[in-house]
Amino acid sequence: MAQRHRLSGAPESIPASAGIGLRSRHFAEITESRPQIAWFEAHSENYFGPGGLPLFYLEHIRKDYPISLHGVGLSPGSIDPLNREHLQRLKALVERIEPGLVSEHLSWSSFGGVYLNDLAPLPYTEETLTHLAERVEQVQAFLGRQILIENPSSYLEYKDSSYRESEFLAELARRSGCGILLDINNVYVSCRNHGWNEAAYLDDIPAARVGEMHLAGHAVNEVGGKTLLIDTHDRTVCEDVWKLYAAALRRFGPKPTLIEWDADMPALDVLMGEASKAETLLEEAHYERAA
Amino acid sequence: MNGLHELQRDFSAFVWAGKTGLGERIVPNGFEPEQRLAIYRNNTLIGLTQALRDVYPVIEKLVGERFFHRLGRDYIRRYPPNTGCLQTFGDRFADFLAASGDVCGQPYLPDTARLEWLRHEAYFESDRAGIDAASLADVPPERYGGLRFELHPSVRLLASRYPVRRIWEFHRENPAEDGRLDLDAEGGCRLVIFRLGWEVETAPLDSDGYRFLTGLQAGLTLSEAASGVLPNNPDFDLAALLRFCLSRSLFSEYF
Repeated sequence: MAQRHRLSGAPESIPASAGIGLRSRHFAEITESRPQIAWFEAHSENYFGPGGLPLFYLEHIRKDYPISLHGVGLSPGSIDPLNREHLQRLKALVERIEPGLVSEHLSWSSFGGVYLNDLAPLPYTEETLTHLAERVEQVQAFLGRQILIENPSSYLEYKDSSYRESEFLAELARRSGCGILLDINNVYVSCRNHGWNEAAYLDDIPAARVGEMHLAGHAVNEVGGKTLLIDTHDRTVCEDVWKLYAAALRRFGPKPTLIEWDADMPALDVLMGEASKAETLLEEAHYERAA
Repeated sequence: MNGLHELQRDFSAFVWAGKTGLGERIVPNGFEPEQRLAIYRNNTLIGLTQALRDVYPVIEKLVGERFFHRLGRDYIRRYPPNTGCLQTFGDRFADFLAASGDVCGQPYLPDTARLEWLRHEAYFESDRAGIDAASLADVPPERYGGLRFELHPSVRLLASRYPVRRIWEFHRENPAEDGRLDLDAEGGCRLVIFRLGWEVETAPLDSDGYRFLTGLQAGLTLSEAASGVLPNNPDFDLAALLRFCLSRSLFSEYF
């Protein structure tokens, strides 16, 4: 490969500050107003095309900000062979954008080459752990870098699970060498849906492995008189999740934290407002660490 | 890998075909297992229907929101995504509409969907600079006939018995025109779809221009492509067509 001119003006690494999700609706505004935000996170698959406007904006914004690439379609937990073309495209994007972090999910989404376009839950068994650790190692070897694996929101549990999700994630990180993207909203949603203990969940996660945290909004659904929380990314972070985030900061110290919002996109100001709330808590965590 | 294999097989069978083999492995915890699985099925169907809606807004306007929803569900079950990247999802929607017979008495739907898909493809195509007239200045005139042109990666050609560009113009977001479209008076069309800068454009061609560009796209030289047109139409204005192509950056290279 020919020596490429270095693309970025901004540093590569993601600081332990608040970032926001990069969505097409805000491309023009971000490039024009250059908002005061430490970093952006982009959905990798939205930039898999060979060219066009989204990629132009992503490269342009990368000149001013560190970028994290967050994948939703690699399907790490599938029995299907790893999709080489998908990996190849991800690698090409990583080389082009020079992201500070690359992440995927603790989930599966394809069977027999057909994709659910969703993050389906895995049984937390020894079999899954062996399989997933091997796959994550393959992905990391192919990309030549560590990836982070994110805990999903889930709406069901399998009877054959022999690990707690948090234990499973910690063990996956230990075996494969991956980092953990701890989605605080997902911890909250899954704990409430399955009756898990939030504090115990955080206790299982080794602080040194946590490379990033996510914050988002969820919906509270009533199904047959019972409550089920659904991860929707379409509203502000709720008070309980802010409290859990504060607890996570006390346990893990300050970590890069993303405000995720994917549906019913609001004005950029609203995202900036959420980010500034996270930043306030992050600063307190920095201060406590120094004290 | 049997336990995981069976689980993913049965989970997929529930999402795509409503088969409930997985129920026994799910902790009920206050709900029927199928209620829990249905959340995932809904996420899949809602997400993919939205992806189709994003690519085919004009088809949605033409058939209405509710019918589009039904068409979308049928399409998703018939041609589910085969990659984890949604940019290629929906590529067979025009063929699906054509095979569905006369949908809503609108025989132009498949070609209108083709136009929307080609515009979608053009939007994400590679970025290449086009050549302009000045870059041909050094070529001696006697060599013109032997030149071959590589069309810009975003260029797509479409011919239809229906006035699909006008139909698209009438139903796009913020249409520039309104009123009634007389399909019989309008007749068919031949189109070139391309990206100029970041904007995707659709321009009409006459039948000679369409045949000429099809020839260039197939790798014919300028004189070979023109000879396919000229014997039938001595008035064919090759110079005007080339000016159009160069001004719209339709060629990315010549050799």
